[in-house]
Amino acid sequence: MNNVSRLVRGALLAALLAAGTAAAHHSFAVHFVGDKLIKVSGVVDEFSFHNPHGLLVLKVRKDGAEQVWRIETNSPNILRRRGWDETSIKHGDQVTVEGYPARDGSNSMRVYRVIYPDGHELVGQRPDPGVVSGED
Amino acid sequence: MQSRTPARLVAALAGVIFAAVSCGALAAPSLEGFWAVKFEQKRTGQALIDELPKSAVLINDTGAGELAAGDFGGLKLKPAAIEQVRNYNYKDELKRENTCSAPSVAFFMQAPFPMEIYQGTELIVFKMEYFDLVRVIFLDGRPHPPKSAPHTRSGHSVGHWEGDTLVVDTTHISPGTFMNNGFNHSDALHLVERFRVSKDGNTLWLTQQYEDPQVFDGLAARYMAWTHRPGEYVYPYDCDPSYGQ
Repeated sequence: MNNVSRLVRGALLAALLAAGTAAAHHSFAVHFVGDKLIKVSGVVDEFSFHNPHGLLVLKVRKDGAEQVWRIETNSPNILRRRGWDETSIKHGDQVTVEGYPARDGSNSMRVYRVIYPDGHELVGQRPDPGVVSGED
Repeated sequence: MQSRTPARLVAALAGVIFAAVSCGALAAPSLEGFWAVKFEQKRTGQALIDELPKSAVLINDTGAGELAAGDFGGLKLKPAAIEQVRNYNYKDELKRENTCSAPSVAFFMQAPFPMEIYQGTELIVFKMEYFDLVRVIFLDGRPHPPKSAPHTRSGHSVGHWEGDTLVVDTTHISPGTFMNNGFNHSDALHLVERFRVSKDGNTLWLTQQYEDPQVFDGLAARYMAWTHRPGEYVYPYDCDPSYGQ
């Protein structure tokens, strides 16, 4: 291969790689464990209900220390058709959240359901049959 | 001679009707309306899948399904694409500036969101709920624009009817995610789609066939299905980047 064709090939490869580094909207399968569920209980500090994901910030007491959990819902558009809206969860609500843990081990998850002390619950992303739940 | 004239007339009419149906001049099937993703245990549109080239690799990640990191559904990636995936940083996806980065038509059609279709004789418009995206399919016989024309997420689409099937050819697609796991398609992607409505009008099937020799060998394909739900509408998506970190 002569120098010119090497240069051309190099430029083409660089252009392709540059195009390929564009980040996409994040994947559930890449960031969360889809075949495992965990539960955390705490007090709602924030709730936002905008696409691409609703976000629930939960303050959790564990072993005498406070943890802050960042918990995302699936798209609010999907949840709106299931009865959720901006007022479904409020600051100060005491809730238990069951969801899919983050693969990186951080205090974050994707919601399966939000359970209130009176027993009513809000359902987000349902698990496949056979997925087992546990405490965090 | 008199007895042969009606037979000739019938044959001629039959020829005209056949030609008209073949080129879509007679009433094309209606794709109009609101369509919600149909989550199927068994594929009801298998006939459309069977019409794909036998060599096409069918990617099984549509609807709520997604492929994990490193799983490319059986496709053989080009070395440059393997390198690109190796260098991909998944944490970048969570950054605020990438939160509202919409995929291209190579991925947004399979997302678990509904769409509205508006159908004319020379134009079909898809209003997608996902990221508020819009597709325009030209049925007026125009060609694709020159290669130098801008590439967009929806690309440039031209279509025609083959009997009961809408065949759409799309080029000029801007690079974007192909499998939502770090594997992206290039701007050379060529997409061929086949849309068909069930006889009762309740189900819409689609196969997408992809060719992108810059990033993978051969052909890939996806299959999708939707249910007709009259009286419903897509919601605004209004992506809000504040979700990002």
